[in-house]
Amino acid sequence: MKKRRNWAPYLLILPSVIYLAIFFAWPMARAMTLAVWDADAVLRLKAEASAESAGAGTLPRGTQVEILGQQGNIVAPEELTQRNLRTERWFRIEAERADGQPVSGWAQETRVRVREESESGEPLAGTIRRKLGSDADPLTDVFSEASVASAVAGRLEANTRVEIREQAMLELWYLVRGEADGTPAEGWAQSRYIQVYADDTTGRIDRGNAGELTNRYIQAMVNDRFFWPALWTTFLLMVLIIPVQFVLAMIMALIIQQQLRGNSFFLYVFAIALGVSDLAVGIVWYAIFTQYGYLNSILQGLGFIGAPIAYLTADTRYWIIIAIWLAEVWRATSIVMVVVVSGLQAIPNEVLEAADLFGAGLWKRIRFVILPMLKPSLQVALILRTILALQVFAVVIALSGGDIVTVLANEAYRQYYDLRNVNVAAAYAGLILLLSMVSAVIYLRLVRSNEEAQA
Amino acid sequence: MSASGQLAQTAPVQASAEMQKVRQAALRRQRLNRGVTYFIAILICLWVLIPIWFIASMALTTPEVVRSYPKGVLPFIPFSFETMRFFLSSQGIIPGTINSIIVAIITLLLSTIIAAPAGYAISRYLFPGRDFYRLSILAVRAFPVVILAIPLAVVFINFGIYDSVYSLALMHTALTLPTTILVIGSVFASIPYELEEAAQVYGCTPLQAFRTVVLPLVAPGIAAAAIFTFVMSWNEVFAASILTVRNRTLPAQVLSTLSQSSEPYQFAGAFFMMIPAMIFIFVIRRYLFNMWGQISK
Amino acid sequence: MADIKIESVTKRFGDFLAVDNVSLTIEDQEFMVLLGPSGCGKTTLLRAVAGLGMADEGRISIGGKDVTYLPPRQRGISMVFQSYAIFPHMKVYDNIAFGLKMNKVDKAETERRVRQAAELLHIENMLDRYPSKMSGGQRQRVAVARAIAMKSQVLLMDEPLSNLDALLRLEMRAELKRLLAEIQATTIYVTHDQIEALSMGDRIAVMRNGTILQCDHPTIVYDQPATEFVGGFIGNPPMNFLDAQVQRHNGSVDVAIGDFKLAPHALYQPVLKPYDGKPIVIGIRAENMETLSTPSDDAIKVRVLVVEPLGSQNLLTVKIGANTVKVSTHPSFAVAPDQDVWLRFPAEKIRWVDRDSGQMLYPAAV
Repeated sequence: MKKRRNWAPYLLILPSVIYLAIFFAWPMARAMTLAVWDADAVLRLKAEASAESAGAGTLPRGTQVEILGQQGNIVAPEELTQRNLRTERWFRIEAERADGQPVSGWAQETRVRVREESESGEPLAGTIRRKLGSDADPLTDVFSEASVASAVAGRLEANTRVEIREQAMLELWYLVRGEADGTPAEGWAQSRYIQVYADDTTGRIDRGNAGELTNRYIQAMVNDRFFWPALWTTFLLMVLIIPVQFVLAMIMALIIQQQLRGNSFFLYVFAIALGVSDLAVGIVWYAIFTQYGYLNSILQGLGFIGAPIAYLTADTRYWIIIAIWLAEVWRATSIVMVVVVSGLQAIPNEVLEAADLFGAGLWKRIRFVILPMLKPSLQVALILRTILALQVFAVVIALSGGDIVTVLANEAYRQYYDLRNVNVAAAYAGLILLLSMVSAVIYLRLVRSNEEAQA
Repeated sequence: MSASGQLAQTAPVQASAEMQKVRQAALRRQRLNRGVTYFIAILICLWVLIPIWFIASMALTTPEVVRSYPKGVLPFIPFSFETMRFFLSSQGIIPGTINSIIVAIITLLLSTIIAAPAGYAISRYLFPGRDFYRLSILAVRAFPVVILAIPLAVVFINFGIYDSVYSLALMHTALTLPTTILVIGSVFASIPYELEEAAQVYGCTPLQAFRTVVLPLVAPGIAAAAIFTFVMSWNEVFAASILTVRNRTLPAQVLSTLSQSSEPYQFAGAFFMMIPAMIFIFVIRRYLFNMWGQISK
Repeated sequence: MADIKIESVTKRFGDFLAVDNVSLTIEDQEFMVLLGPSGCGKTTLLRAVAGLGMADEGRISIGGKDVTYLPPRQRGISMVFQSYAIFPHMKVYDNIAFGLKMNKVDKAETERRVRQAAELLHIENMLDRYPSKMSGGQRQRVAVARAIAMKSQVLLMDEPLSNLDALLRLEMRAELKRLLAEIQATTIYVTHDQIEALSMGDRIAVMRNGTILQCDHPTIVYDQPATEFVGGFIGNPPMNFLDAQVQRHNGSVDVAIGDFKLAPHALYQPVLKPYDGKPIVIGIRAENMETLSTPSDDAIKVRVLVVEPLGSQNLLTVKIGANTVKVSTHPSFAVAPDQDVWLRFPAEKIRWVDRDSGQMLYPAAV
């Protein structure tokens, strides 16, 4: 061990630190954020139809609003893909009035009928449209800028020929008035945030442009009809699986410690499951428990049953739990076994001999020496197992299709994948993280107290 | 009696008859214990092997036999690759397998490249923050890292790298990195630093000493760690299902079509997914305790 | 009364004969040291007595009771292990009390005996500590305290000092000797360190290849080793051995080392007579030779190869024929390498070894 202090070790661990920061710490923070942060809960209104103008109060998403006016405003091309975007096109035109005066400025696309286009579809020239309605102003305004708020540069009669020099895409801004929690607010907002009803004078705020802390997603998670069954099943499986695994792993470890002939064969067989995918294990046990599967084949072959029993149905949920339980015990006992074996190997033979010599028979040796000395390993294995049990997923899907019996990880998957509800999925992820973190804190404590005891 | 006389001739001093009885009883007990131990060991072996036996015999026969009932306990009758061929020719399986291999290899390379220097650092240097670093790695290891696939999916969508085997490999690397660091650390720790110093005394540069002395000694251990990384990535299904849509890995592909697929497809798929893991665990079985033992210390 | 009787004990590990038909009786309250190089069977023999590895043949009895195949806990013995084997998960107090607890000694008595044992070993202020926070020497004390708290009549010790550093070992050696005299248990003490054996044992049994070569008081083992091996194993430096030739001379025998002639002690004349005309080996300890700086008729001339000043003595390495010989001289004896000196062998200090068997030759009654 080099005791010299220099920068080398920091340089060596740096890549891993950076990597875990990016792909562990940051996503973890994101998961927490997604679960409690409603990113578009509030719409900030503007005093004028411009992003730079001052704020004019806020309205929450979903507020019904009156639409008092509208106005176009330049929009960046990359924002044109936004949902609900209402746009209008403006042309910079040059024309000659009937009296020979040249007029140049901006006019809305709706006021110009395009007559000539270039080969690539660019409008080149057109005529001013006639206004509908007898009492309408027959003249069309040409503005100095691409906005109805700008100065009028001239007025043109219908059917005047215009040269189209340039075009601009504008997003509509609406002047809206609404009320939330008794406080009215009025101001401008971009069309993308407003859902306008058919009458063009009312609408609702479809989404906001500012976030706020919320417990909506957590509530949505807790109120989901699958939440409590998932939580309950997860805990039930943990309680069923872990003790059996520990007893079985202890037995396996003691067998390995006996150094029987064929020990390496036993070790390999006991460890096989360590590398087998949980999905495959789920399917393997499905093959056993399915109606026309092995269990029924054997039972019928032995004459215990006359016809195949359907185990994995909604009416026989306990059979699904049993199947998941067996599959998980089958799959994940080997890791406990490996941890326990290395714990056993760390107990010096002389210590056991000493116990024997000072009067402890086999059971007293196990009770007073082996188990206490194995305690750190057992605790570590216990916490590893607890955290793995919180992530049970593919086995459950394979054996229950994922809805008759469900678990937390499965619900996270369903919320994300089937329901496209990232925030609620993140809430599930956050819950699993939280439950694991509680275990991890205990785990760290244990490791530390252990190191103190051995220091 | 003549018998005792003979005994006295061959071994003049023997323990008393009472002691001989004690010994016989102890030996009997020992034999019995051994027998019981073997019996239990074989029972556990059956518990592990029979399900594998079932799935193997399902996968290596014809689809008709798979669908038949009652199923024979004797395997491989008739022996046929038809079920396997049916599975492999199903849509998305070959690309999924290729994706799985690509993801697993990238994961293996990335996590070994990043973990090797870190493992060397924690086993060779005493530096302020070393214990904190080790504890943090242990803590990360104990975290349900796959769950992070959900926020990562959002991030990947924002960056436009969603649904790609490469971004999935990044996620899998985060998943395997802590284990790999700890294992490689313990592999390095088992090679005395004096060996490196000796090589330097005899004229190697530190880098040469590392390459000519340490590397050959740690190579098998690091290879075992890398293989285990491969297996973890190959098996991982949750993050793979979340992070890919069209470029699915094998487990994600099987999972997404599970409810609509036929039993021959499922059983062949399960067997196919188990094969590499069973081979690799056999290859690295000597290193299992290296890998997992030290987490309890 | 707790004498230990080992009769014709044999122990095999596969084909390897670890203990070969060994018989040994240890008297009540005697301190017996089993001494030998590693692999000689001394620990195997001790473990057979402890019941940690049952003898294949033969009988072991303690206090007249046959215990050959009893499990260790039924033998009424206690033991100190080489690696101390103290329980890391128990405090010192519980370690010492372990045997008493297992044998259901009542609480008050346990407490009394634990404190007494701790005081004897000067660890009474460490009873609340965990062994992991203690030094090697302190752990050693805990192991000994645990053994003596049992108040067994038999105490077995398996190389208890071998894991301590040299200085601590010296200190513990004296302390253990005082302690064992105090508790009056029958003790078997296994060691490979001949100084430990010489300084502590009432008797020493020197073992090699599974058999006992010699079992006697330390001074006798040192002065009159039974075989060439015992002489060469015990003592620092070990006994010197010189090839020589027995010759008849005027009705008695002479021994020739090259040109130099040596007259054996009168007592040995009958012993050496059968070797007339045959080669023989002379054994003599470094401190038993007289070194002269001037020639003398009864001294052999040798060339000094190396001089090692050791403080209390100077150790010379010289060559006699093909044999390398170590000679210890008084520090005031001035000598330098490549100088000639003359060695005189006092007749009563010379030991004679049969060259083929390695057996030392002694007159019928010494």
